[in-house]
Amino acid sequence: MRARMSDLSPAIDRAATPTQELRARPTQWGALVAPMLVLVFIFFVIPILYLLRMSFAEQAFAKSVVPIFGVYSLENFAEIFGDIFFLDMIVNSLIVGTGTVVATLLISYPIAYYLTLTRGWERTLILVACLLPLFVNIIVAVLGWYILLLPFGVIQNMLSALGLIDGPLGALKSFWALITVLTYEHIPFAVLILAASLQNISPDKINMARVLGSGVYRTFLTIVLPLTMPGVVATVILVFALSISSYLVPALITGQQVMVLPIAIFSYTSYLLNWTLAAAISLILLVIVAGITFGLTILANRLTRRGEWEIV
Amino acid sequence: MLLALRLFIYLIVIIMLLPIMMSLPMALTAGSYVTFPPDGLSLKWFIRMSQDLILMETIGRSVVLALFAALLGVILSVPTAFAIERGRLAGRTAIETLITSPRMIPQIVLVLALLIFYEFIGLAETFTGLVIAHLLITVPLSFRTLHVGISSLDRRLEWSSAILGASTARTFHKIIVPHLKTFLIAAFTFAFIISFNNVTMALFLSAIGERTLPVEMFNRMYVGGMTPVLLAIAFVLAVVGAVTFIVLDRTIGVLKYLSGHN
Repeated sequence: MRARMSDLSPAIDRAATPTQELRARPTQWGALVAPMLVLVFIFFVIPILYLLRMSFAEQAFAKSVVPIFGVYSLENFAEIFGDIFFLDMIVNSLIVGTGTVVATLLISYPIAYYLTLTRGWERTLILVACLLPLFVNIIVAVLGWYILLLPFGVIQNMLSALGLIDGPLGALKSFWALITVLTYEHIPFAVLILAASLQNISPDKINMARVLGSGVYRTFLTIVLPLTMPGVVATVILVFALSISSYLVPALITGQQVMVLPIAIFSYTSYLLNWTLAAAISLILLVIVAGITFGLTILANRLTRRGEWEIV
Repeated sequence: MLLALRLFIYLIVIIMLLPIMMSLPMALTAGSYVTFPPDGLSLKWFIRMSQDLILMETIGRSVVLALFAALLGVILSVPTAFAIERGRLAGRTAIETLITSPRMIPQIVLVLALLIFYEFIGLAETFTGLVIAHLLITVPLSFRTLHVGISSLDRRLEWSSAILGASTARTFHKIIVPHLKTFLIAAFTFAFIISFNNVTMALFLSAIGERTLPVEMFNRMYVGGMTPVLLAIAFVLAVVGAVTFIVLDRTIGVLKYLSGHN
């Protein structure tokens, strides 16, 4: 093709032929990536590295500039791990994250599964209901939940009218309220991942199992579930990471009642002005999220292999 | 069994829609407090909302912020995605990971790091600083959308255009841009939505008199100035969100872009 092109009219010489493109490449392409890399390097890599450095600074620095090669100390971590208040907070965060993951999966998997069975208006309705929250500011939904859960709010009045409860409903500010709203917030992400994962299963595999006499439940347990495990694991990682680092929902729904890591990060940054401690708490949050992500990714690879084993 | 599943699904559908729809009946109250059931019907809180200058100002600021973040994101992403897709750059995977990593780490950690960094370089409480922060969290999405778009281009069309004597600029304008159109729109729109709806970044980074709309709403809820005005603006946001959703779904298709990104 190249040979033929060079034989053609002079117009072609002016045009960028593939050969010319190739020759011009290395520096040109580099220049195209440069602005993005500069942005990410200056405003992401440097700040995160500095945050790490700050978490190992002495608390006396509080809010002032910490020299990069100054004294490194474990003061902040000693304070965190020596204080039952902080340990409680880490445990709370882990419970909230785990609870949200379990609730989100229990609700989203059936939805994603049902989406593979249905067509037409029913499918549209379910998709609209599950995806709409992605397009509306989360504050709107949190405000809605707030009203629903309020003492003498909608849910309490309804339950009282049905005679199920007597007296004020202590739902708002509770642990359960926090998990409910976080689950609500993350169902759309989970449904998207799980639906994609369920749609990737070839119908042949399911039909094969059915032909060989396997019932609906057995087919689900031995074919569908193992094949969607990578999707389940991806959901777990995402929902866990998002819910334990959410500041907005705990701040508005439970306030100081359920202390979680992001609430502490915000208070130490804004009111208490102890930035080194806030940096250390952030590092702990980061380590938890990274640990879960890597741990589960390794597990996911094993499960995928096992899933393939069972199919063959 | 299928019936039980169906009932469960419908219950969830109602629960998913309820909190978003909740604001309308409550905002239509004629009383002065947030009560259920609403105390008579009136539009007075919607009128109060439109007269609330602070609220209107924050809406303007949020829109400008989201426009800047989304536009700059697309402008930065197009050349980057081209270079990653076409150029045989060393460390391509590393570059991709680096670009998408601001979305991988907890946002509260990222914003604290930025806050500390801004304090030292003098960007604290500035609009520029906020735009950069929003750019960091929207770029991974616009980059990935455009990357998919560029990898789906038919290169024979570009070669044909070059053979027929078109300059690189003309090929870009006449061939590449029209083919990337839906991807450009998707990248811009989703970045805009993410930026407009983000609370955490502006909560830490915006100056007191220069709040964005979500932060203003957060503060009114948090500090306790919860009047039905808040519910009126929430309903407006719900309607805008729903309309955006429908329009996007009818034009470029929502599911295709969303499922790839999480």
